[in-house]
Amino acid sequence: MTSDIMSTAQPEGRSCQLHPQSMCPAFGALRVLARIEGSHPVLASDTGCLYGLTFVTHFYGARKSILAAHLGTDELMGGEVIESTRAAIEEAAKEPGCALVPVISLCVAETGGLAEEMLPQRAGNADVVLVRVPAYAIHSHPETKDVALSALLRRLSHTESVRRDRTLALLGEVFPADPLAIDGLLRRMGVEETVTLPGRSLDDLQRAASFAALAPLHPFYSDTVAFFREWDIPVVGGAPVGISGTYAWLQSIGSLLQLDPVVVTQVAEEERERSQAVVNAQPLSARILVTGYEGNELAYARMLVEAGAEVPYVSTSIGADPLVLPDETWLRSRGTQEIVYRKSLEDDIAALDKYSPDLVLGTTPFCAAAKERGIPAMYFTNQLSARPFFLSGGMAATLAFIQQTLDGKPRYEWMQAFFTEATDA
Amino acid sequence: MPSIVRDMPETSSYWAAIWTLGTLPDVHVICDAPIGCFNLAATAVPDYTDAIPHIENITPSVIRETEVNTTGTGPAVKRVFQDLRDEGLLDNKHLIVVSTAESEMIGSDLTDLVTQLQPGARFFHSESLTEDEWTGRDRILAWLWDNYGAENAARMAVEPGVVNIIGPTYGCFNSASDLHEVCRLIEGAGGRVNMVFPFEARLSEIAELACAQVNVVLYKEFGQTLAESLGRPWIHAPIGMRDTTAFVRQLGHWLGTTEEAEAFIQHEKQTTLQAVWDLWRGPQGDWFASLSVGIVATGTYVDGLSAYLGEELGLSIAFTVSRPRRSAEIETEALRALLHARPPNLVYGSMNEKIYLSEGGARQASFIPAAFPGPIVRRSVGTPFMGYRGAVYLIQDIVNRLYEALYNVLPLDSAYAPSGVPIPAPSVGAKRGNLPWTSEAKAILDEALENLPYLARISASRELQMRVEAVAQQRGFSEVTPEVASQVLVSQGK
Repeated sequence: MTSDIMSTAQPEGRSCQLHPQSMCPAFGALRVLARIEGSHPVLASDTGCLYGLTFVTHFYGARKSILAAHLGTDELMGGEVIESTRAAIEEAAKEPGCALVPVISLCVAETGGLAEEMLPQRAGNADVVLVRVPAYAIHSHPETKDVALSALLRRLSHTESVRRDRTLALLGEVFPADPLAIDGLLRRMGVEETVTLPGRSLDDLQRAASFAALAPLHPFYSDTVAFFREWDIPVVGGAPVGISGTYAWLQSIGSLLQLDPVVVTQVAEEERERSQAVVNAQPLSARILVTGYEGNELAYARMLVEAGAEVPYVSTSIGADPLVLPDETWLRSRGTQEIVYRKSLEDDIAALDKYSPDLVLGTTPFCAAAKERGIPAMYFTNQLSARPFFLSGGMAATLAFIQQTLDGKPRYEWMQAFFTEATDA
Repeated sequence: MPSIVRDMPETSSYWAAIWTLGTLPDVHVICDAPIGCFNLAATAVPDYTDAIPHIENITPSVIRETEVNTTGTGPAVKRVFQDLRDEGLLDNKHLIVVSTAESEMIGSDLTDLVTQLQPGARFFHSESLTEDEWTGRDRILAWLWDNYGAENAARMAVEPGVVNIIGPTYGCFNSASDLHEVCRLIEGAGGRVNMVFPFEARLSEIAELACAQVNVVLYKEFGQTLAESLGRPWIHAPIGMRDTTAFVRQLGHWLGTTEEAEAFIQHEKQTTLQAVWDLWRGPQGDWFASLSVGIVATGTYVDGLSAYLGEELGLSIAFTVSRPRRSAEIETEALRALLHARPPNLVYGSMNEKIYLSEGGARQASFIPAAFPGPIVRRSVGTPFMGYRGAVYLIQDIVNRLYEALYNVLPLDSAYAPSGVPIPAPSVGAKRGNLPWTSEAKAILDEALENLPYLARISASRELQMRVEAVAQQRGFSEVTPEVASQVLVSQGK
């Protein structure tokens, strides 16, 4: 074999990286863009790509018809990429209530070249916004949520907006009840309005620059955060997760928004007591691997550790980023031995061999591997995103779910034994 | 010509290739793909179409910017090959490298490179930028035969009574049930099932396809080229009572088991098919001719359901759209408009048609899953569309949906239905009892009813009438005017 292919050596201690784990990266952008009211996305891509992305959007995104410029050999070689995309934009703009046509340019369109200046800025009553998300260049689906959101903000937000005191923009796709709970608590501290991005409202995007502060709930919105910093909008560190995290977060918001410190401390302490009571009522005693690909795995690990669990291994699809660093530091100082970014299935399997966990929160292939060993396992994406997570209420819901799953161990063992027997017979 | 597509209803030949190869346990595939084409086709979608955690014997080359802009995909494929080999994942496996739209886009033809990786390794150019999943499946099945089976075929002796089934692969709607039923029919006709290729086969045994006396091609969309290559008589799998009876007879004729086949048909009439005879003789059968049906599915299902439901049972087939679409059929835009404006009682289709019914507010049409795309588990073998059991399952399902529709149109006291729109109470002093309708107003009501499917009309006629009269009475009118009628009726769902 020639030498150009001998770079197979892995970083020390890390196994082969054969099966990287992420949904198609473009899906993150498509999901965010399909869920906005009045938004009718146009994809530019080939048959297989359109089929797959439309499928998962109809499963996880929205009950929304998806138009596309269909790019096959004829269109790509015949220089009809722009023509087809423009035609699809015109069609999308005719949908009832259409106010936004995001154009999602995917691998083959990006490789072939899709010139932004050849696309209209407006169609019908809609703004047309190009979002470039080739899967070969962006390596995980959480990160394309950031690409999509920052593209929308660049184009739609009214940057000359008057800054409004005591208002806060929350950043991250979260369980719908979470922003309500957060808003309720913040109002008691004196906050007058919160908004959650990315959400279902175009209006919220337009007003984004009018908020007094930004609070990222997820750590992979680096471009979006950079926008807010450019607008001189301060960014709150951390997130309202767990006991200490929530307390610190509420205090930061109090000081950034110049709220009454006495009231803030009172609200934060009450919330801390409630969170502590949740942990006291149902402390965890288990070894858990947190190995999803949603980009918020470190925050979940942190909550589990605070509740008493041992989390020796955390892995995620996103790359290392300053926004993740506080959680990483926190976890490492409390016993987490490995934190793997841009993980592959092989990393997770190696951890399964090494740590013999009581519970796995992971991707579907990895959960299947854990269940084949009789270990309780939950698909992180479907199960954890479907429950409240933030503040004491989210903590109670998430910990109850974790405990319930741990209690189900005999069922996992019975299934494993039953089907192993069947295979051996 | 600009090329626009709405809700892409069928996938590419790359997906077809890996959904075919993935079923063969002694194959390992390297897909020359970015992470997305690997995740979607090998995990995210088959999770929900085939109810499997993921396809295990496939590894991506992971095309990144370097491969696109600088090196091409050759070095990445070599790296993946070495890792797989070193991990022992290629032991006793046939290695096949498959191109994707993106690798084709950058012109990555790895034919020469792959044959050098290990003896027997091959490159399959999936033509994913050009071909759809149907052509793709047909082509790779024939390619597998040409590359791994044909040279050993001469050594295989044809065994009397032995039958192959060609199809399914992953991603074939309802395949577990249809396959199970077709196996039963073959055995009933006096045959013995040899290979189910590729779904229950190993690539190393492919030459044994030559042992069969007859081949059954499960679908019209693919498998025919392989069947022709095998040079034996072949037949498509049947849907409906007439087609199934002809199928069993034909097999009996070819296999020399006519007596067995006839006895099986007789026995089925007295057992399995009794349910159809009973429903036909009972009150259920009287509804059939009043029911309208729309079908969006593979050509196999469209032809089979049209023949069975339409010709044999007398339901009225409102429209059909095949996958792949036939030139005389309506395009997606027209299909969507039709489902918005005037949906039939029963709509067989995919997630796409389900969404169009939701968009149009079609509460009275019954959606019946019959095609991909769309998440659905069909791993139980009890839901066939094919064969005699399929004839029973299809009509049983329709009758149960009728019962459901009837239940939903029975009046429910509005005090118990907080989510429903209550019929407003007449204001004090307003005229009570039935109001007279102007002829224009009556025409508006008739038109609204005409757009509803049969059955829904029965109770809707009363309910819509009450709603309009209630509003008219509330406003103190002494008759129903066209204005009131159109105002109220325009807001009604279908």
